Amino acid sequence: MTVTATPQSPASERKPGAGYWLKKNLFRTRLDSVISVVFGALSVYLLVRVFLFVFVNGRWEIIRVNLKLLLVGRWPSEEMTVLAVAIIVMGLWGGVIAGLIAGRQRLAGTSTAAGMNAAERVSDLVRRFGLIFATILLLLLLTSTAGPWLTMLLALVAALVGYWLGRVAGLRKWGALANWVGVLLLAGIPIGVFLYTTAATPLAEWEGFFFNLTSAAAGIILSFPIGVVLALSRRSKLPLLKSASIAYIEVVRGSPLFVLLLLANVSLEFFVPAALAPSKVVRAIVTFTIFSAAYVAEIVRGGLQSVPNGQSEAAKALGLSAYKQTSLIVLPQALRNVIPAQIGQFIALFKDTTLAGVALGILDLLNGAGAITQQPDFRGQGLIIEALVFVAFLFWVGSFTMSRESQRLERKLGVGTR
Amino acid sequence: MTAPPTTKAPVPEARTPFYRNVKVLAWAFQVTVFFVVLAFLLWLWSNYLTNTANSGIPTNFDFLSNPASFAIPGAEFDSNESVRNAYVIGLMNTIRISIVGIILATILGTLIGIGRLSKNWIVRKLSTVYVEAIRNTPLLVIMTFTFLGVVLQVMPTIEEAWNLGFIIVSNRGIGVPWYSEVSGAALFAVVALAFVGWWAVAKWRHGVSERTGELARVGLYGGLTFLLIWIVGWWLIGPTFTLPMIDGRQLEGGIRIDPSYFSVLIALVIYTASQIAEIVRGSIQAVPVGQGEAASALALSGFQRMSLIVLPQAMRIAIPPLGNQYLNLIKNSSLGAAFAYFELTNVTQITVGNGSPAVPAFFLALVFYVALSFITSAFVNLANRRFKLVER
Amino acid sequence: MKTKKLLVVLTALMLVLAACSSDDGSDTTEGGTDATEAPSGGGDGGSLLAEVMDRGELKCGTRDALTGFAVLTADGDHVGFDSDFCRAIAAALLGDAEAVDHVDLETSDRFTALQSGQIDVLVRNTTWTASRDGSEGATFLATTFYDGQGMMVSADSGFAGIEDMDGVIVCVAKGTTTEGNAAATADRLGLEWEVRPFDDNDLIQEAFGAGQCDGWSADFGALVGIRGDQPDGPESVLLLPEVFSKEPLGPAVLDGNDELAQAVNWVVFATIQAEEWGITTANVDDFLDSEDSNIRKFLGATFTDGDGNETTLDAGLGLPADFAYQVIKQVGNYGEIFDRHLTPLGLERGVNALWFDGGLLYAPPYR
Repeated sequence: MTVTATPQSPASERKPGAGYWLKKNLFRTRLDSVISVVFGALSVYLLVRVFLFVFVNGRWEIIRVNLKLLLVGRWPSEEMTVLAVAIIVMGLWGGVIAGLIAGRQRLAGTSTAAGMNAAERVSDLVRRFGLIFATILLLLLLTSTAGPWLTMLLALVAALVGYWLGRVAGLRKWGALANWVGVLLLAGIPIGVFLYTTAATPLAEWEGFFFNLTSAAAGIILSFPIGVVLALSRRSKLPLLKSASIAYIEVVRGSPLFVLLLLANVSLEFFVPAALAPSKVVRAIVTFTIFSAAYVAEIVRGGLQSVPNGQSEAAKALGLSAYKQTSLIVLPQALRNVIPAQIGQFIALFKDTTLAGVALGILDLLNGAGAITQQPDFRGQGLIIEALVFVAFLFWVGSFTMSRESQRLERKLGVGTR
Repeated sequence: MTAPPTTKAPVPEARTPFYRNVKVLAWAFQVTVFFVVLAFLLWLWSNYLTNTANSGIPTNFDFLSNPASFAIPGAEFDSNESVRNAYVIGLMNTIRISIVGIILATILGTLIGIGRLSKNWIVRKLSTVYVEAIRNTPLLVIMTFTFLGVVLQVMPTIEEAWNLGFIIVSNRGIGVPWYSEVSGAALFAVVALAFVGWWAVAKWRHGVSERTGELARVGLYGGLTFLLIWIVGWWLIGPTFTLPMIDGRQLEGGIRIDPSYFSVLIALVIYTASQIAEIVRGSIQAVPVGQGEAASALALSGFQRMSLIVLPQAMRIAIPPLGNQYLNLIKNSSLGAAFAYFELTNVTQITVGNGSPAVPAFFLALVFYVALSFITSAFVNLANRRFKLVER
Repeated sequence: MKTKKLLVVLTALMLVLAACSSDDGSDTTEGGTDATEAPSGGGDGGSLLAEVMDRGELKCGTRDALTGFAVLTADGDHVGFDSDFCRAIAAALLGDAEAVDHVDLETSDRFTALQSGQIDVLVRNTTWTASRDGSEGATFLATTFYDGQGMMVSADSGFAGIEDMDGVIVCVAKGTTTEGNAAATADRLGLEWEVRPFDDNDLIQEAFGAGQCDGWSADFGALVGIRGDQPDGPESVLLLPEVFSKEPLGPAVLDGNDELAQAVNWVVFATIQAEEWGITTANVDDFLDSEDSNIRKFLGATFTDGDGNETTLDAGLGLPADFAYQVIKQVGNYGEIFDRHLTPLGLERGVNALWFDGGLLYAPPYR
């Protein structure tokens, strides 16, 4: 008696069906199945509730009416064009920087975009920045005037033009003089925009989400040189410098930012001559700088430690002075290695800017959200939930995008996280 | 014929002039920097003294002996006690919420971190959503939400409190049963003794298992011993447990969990757990895959593989970043000041508002926070050294 | 390595602490002498009054959301009782009631803003107490509003008076006299109160509305404004009749600025004096040539002195001769200011009436 087996395709060629996927991922064991069912039900319930809240039940009128207050505080209406121009110019500047980086990468051969065709490129961009574009679109849909649409459109155009310009510039090699001119120009544009904007609206009146963004940026930028100096001092063999920097770093890192902000609020003016009487925004930025510098110092110190000793030894063998060793060989490598950690520090500072609202009474996004729920039209209706969700959403979009970019950079640079 | 090698007479060493001597330059540099920094600090300090002297504000620590003129709920502290005692109570509250927060956040964070690596798709996705959503939201937003949203909106007023028999939930406090008439230290000592008992039984059973080869069954024997010691010990001490009751507008009996404490704690735990989950996930992934495979080859169950092989090794890697998160939690507890929780920062703010000089008061608070940070880092470093892989 | 680092930092901290405590001796005596003798000059060696007049703008510390006293409207104007007094001071010093920079302050910032020179004068319903005069370095001036601390409860709470409130939660604003007063009152009446302080009124409103607070304690005048803003209407809350502390509210300047202090004092007195004589914004021009030479002196109009010369009265306060005229013309007298902002809320004049109407307002004569 022969038993003929039914011909079947080899097991390795069978594509797993939906049933297989379910069994493997959700119902492997009895316990697994129970967990799947329970959590599955929970997730579905939560999804439905969230969907209903966001699209059906949520009373978003309060956000729509107060959008300007939330985003830029009480910016004078007549100065809104100044703000629009600033955004457009910064869009151009951002485009130029991105283009320069892309051009240089292409020259060096490290460009990931080089290997992609147009469709892949677009989908890559959408995956990376789609969330931000969607959020800006959402905010634009909530506005009632044409001004923001126009500004954002012009900013987009400016960014694209800047990208093209930057890429053209980045693909060519320039002489030393041209390099210096370029660097000065690039550094000068933000400073120029800053001066132009503060001439219209003084720093003390920068409020809303605009304050959160700009104070975080200012804090990180200003604290960076201080942090590098501190890190170098900490690694130096000169005992005075070393102990002074260690003392600063350890004390500042052991202090809560909230307490430092409260202290700055009540006492910064005592430490400066009465003529300087700093405004709240200045106090916040000074405190952010002092606080961030200690953390940047630790990050840079980690970066300096990650540069192999052989580098500085080789530099010494070549007869480079200590200053040239550090500035030409060690520091560039160290800073390149810690870019992801730096971005992480920026994200942390960005989230911590909300503390300035509570500690100093600045009308930032969170504080503003609390204030609008007390307006005569909106009080007593429990609208704080909608307001907080909006605030959380804006912060989440910013942090999430930046942290994903930082992870991507980490993977690209091949830097270990631990 | 080669000329005989001439030995040159040693050339006297040229002394480098002092302005090119590296050592001198280094010292000159750091002394200059030091004096510049010192001059700057002294300028700041003299400004401070001038400005405060002009308005008659004291710059010493005498204010500590003044009466506080505010009361702290939940503590035996009335408005005539000194500011110094207020500081002590504030410090105790900070320590209390930090310890409880650290324990809860570690447990929750570890569970979610393991969940992110689960084979179950739903658990994996849920954990990822949790971590990515919470990690990128500012802590203050979460805390505002737990206070204004959860405590004030969701929890009922005292008149409509949810009375579940042994727990009463309202927006002015959660009543839980608590012991009375016995010292808490004695009860705690009994629980500690029970843990010691478990450990001793575990050692015994491991010894038996080594000698005779029978199953150690540490969980069974140890667990039974633990429960035995706990129950007998508490029965001997004889604490009375009071259930919470609503008396008018107050929660009588038991102990009342302050709503501010509750909301601040929940927010801290939720936020820190998301950070800890990422750390735990990274550490588990850093354990060599071979370890897990070997465990499977030895027929260890998934739970045994995780708890006996992978997790212990992962925790060793995780100790330094975990320690960092603990420090962050302690510092973040200062946000409780905005929500009426009487921890150190809140006490400082109130005394300053009542007339204490601002700079010494906040300086004192900062000293306490820095001291807490140092003590915690010392503990973490100790744990790190203890559990570090000893390498040749 | 770690121990060394620890030692270094501890040494640094020790040094700083030592430096602080070693300042004890010199600073207390310095502070003491400054308080007893006439302080030398203003905060920065010049007269603050002269500086304000040079600057052309008065920096007035206020707040942005207390109905009746100071509210920031959508147009960016500050409207209220305290805001009008800011304007009055500016009208007197600078001749222009709108030459004011209204600086919004949190409750916890009030005195530090004054101490640091961020503001020239604080007009922010602040209570005059001994310790504020002393350790906060403030000089309080003529009281503009005699207030007391009151308690607001929910209308259906069943409380009829303070004594009914035993075992309750009372919410107050952080860092104000209300905190200490609430605790002291509870002790005095033998009641058990849990006093919860919050940073700003928005949070208290949320907690009160959610039923977490049984009572909201604040200055009675402030509570009247808050009652009007209740989401369920003013009838949903009840202001208990007891007023359990003295809260004289008035402007304050920093210690050491005598000239500015005197000037502010006389601005307040001018509004009261004007009401005593019945001078209002509408009729002040008619009083310029009044028969009563006291009124003409007051308004800075010319009068004939003992020698028969036409002159105006310069009291040597450093103010322009017609400061009172400017105040009345541009802002109004006390009664007008009160009626404009506080009467609509339902506040009676009570003790804030003129002395001959049974109140406490009494202006020294301007001569």
